[in-house]
Amino acid sequence: MAQSNFDRRRINGPDESFPPLFEADEEDPVHNLPRTRRGRSADDIRPIFLKAGLISQANGSAYIETERTKIACAVYGPRQSKTTVYSENGRLNVEVKFAPFSCTRRRAPIRDAEDRSVAVQIHQALWPSVRLELLPKSTLDIFITIIENDGIEGCIASGSVAASAALADAGIEMLGLVVSCAASTIGKEIWLDPTEEEARMASGSLILSGMPALGTITNVWQSGRLTPEETIQCMEACQGRCLDIHTVVAQALLDNAQVT
Amino acid sequence: MAAAAAIASSSATTLPEGDTLKASTFQRLHPKAYFERFLAENLRPDGRDLDEWRAVSLNVGSISTADGSALVRLGDTTVVCGVKAEIAEPELDSPEDGFLVPNLDLPAICSPKFKPGPPTEEAQVLSDRLNDILVAAGVVPLSSLCIERGRAVWVLYVDATCINYDGNAFDATLLAMVAALKNTRLPKATFDEETGRTTCSRKTRLPLQISRLPASMSFGIFDGTHIVVDPTSFEEPLLETTLSVAVDENGGLVSVTQLGLGIARGQDVLMRCIASAKDPLFLECLVGARKDR
Repeated sequence: MAQSNFDRRRINGPDESFPPLFEADEEDPVHNLPRTRRGRSADDIRPIFLKAGLISQANGSAYIETERTKIACAVYGPRQSKTTVYSENGRLNVEVKFAPFSCTRRRAPIRDAEDRSVAVQIHQALWPSVRLELLPKSTLDIFITIIENDGIEGCIASGSVAASAALADAGIEMLGLVVSCAASTIGKEIWLDPTEEEARMASGSLILSGMPALGTITNVWQSGRLTPEETIQCMEACQGRCLDIHTVVAQALLDNAQVT
Repeated sequence: MAAAAAIASSSATTLPEGDTLKASTFQRLHPKAYFERFLAENLRPDGRDLDEWRAVSLNVGSISTADGSALVRLGDTTVVCGVKAEIAEPELDSPEDGFLVPNLDLPAICSPKFKPGPPTEEAQVLSDRLNDILVAAGVVPLSSLCIERGRAVWVLYVDATCINYDGNAFDATLLAMVAALKNTRLPKATFDEETGRTTCSRKTRLPLQISRLPASMSFGIFDGTHIVVDPTSFEEPLLETTLSVAVDENGGLVSVTQLGLGIARGQDVLMRCIASAKDPLFLECLVGARKDR
């Protein structure tokens, strides 16, 4: 849609500009529900590439890539809290930023509600795992930049994995690594780790975050239309997958620690 | 002096824990003296010569949501640039010209000195300088972005985000922006006179017309004596003068910016820096890097 914000701190283009309209496609994926998933089975997740320590300026960092989702995360802290109010426990501050070229339609560099809701989900997923009682008067700042976006579910899931890996890279004491997995219901099937297209076709989606090391769940976010039985099924499927993701993340952190 | 020499020559060997701690504490408390010790040996804290650049790596086309993209790593400084194309009505007084809108963002993720919030002064200044260079050099002739005279033109939003700031973001960003523009492929657009709308084809994509490929070289003068090339984030605050020279692939001068007095050892260094940037070796590397993409 038209973006007519004149931002005096940036170079501005014309008042209004529109994303290009394409000729109608022959196949309209929204209305045709494919019987089977394209390219992988219902409970296959996309391969994860995770590398820690790429951002040298930060205390800890991680970069995660799952096919078309690319997220960079940096942790700064523990550093002194700006507020004068004494807080016995440390603060965890998560900020998410979408790069303007990360989505199909260009996003204005101004932060909006979507950034905030992704940040809140990641904060809720991570908060139980960090030992904030050991960091009085301090703040942990987690900055996440989404370089390429393939669906909000993928962003929240990969973002929380990257943030947890970055916290581990920074040497912050935690109870366990947090990993997340997303699931969508398409017809009668449950597809794990949906892409943007798949999530749009689904009747409902669910993202589960947990600490496989302790066997606990830290955050569940469900949207769309799911019956309680489907919800439980999705959660169980995600939990099972989280164990595999945890192994991948732990291995990546171990490799990184051995190199340096 | 012995400690400094030991640090300078031991980039591969490991120091005992105590010495490393002393060196990093000294660096934090007396950065200027630390830097001077290295310069006395004609070296810099990361082991480079005074006129040596860091290793540059360039990766294009990895972001599928953008029409063109590039990732540049200049040592540790990492900049990602993406080009998004949209359609707009042209200005009344230039009905055949499209728009090129470059922007650089230095978010809080890239360095502890940037706080979250609106663009800092540094980001604004760099964005402005990049805009000047890309427009003045005429990297993309704006008339090539015209779809229908007076009705529809392409707007190219060239957005660069710094992921890791280790000094010299300007050179890295210019390289990333030019590489991303070269990588950009626009869909073929047809303007329908009756409906007044432009439709694009999903099948045909055409590359942009690029007329010049500018690249820049940044220098800094320390203490009125030494000239260093490609400063890191540790060296940048210690330099009292910074010079940036932008040249194109034929050695033509595009832009020169100087902040500070520009005098080293009693002589004006501006012409030396310009000559350095026009050095055939540098241009060869430029052209070589471009041809690979």
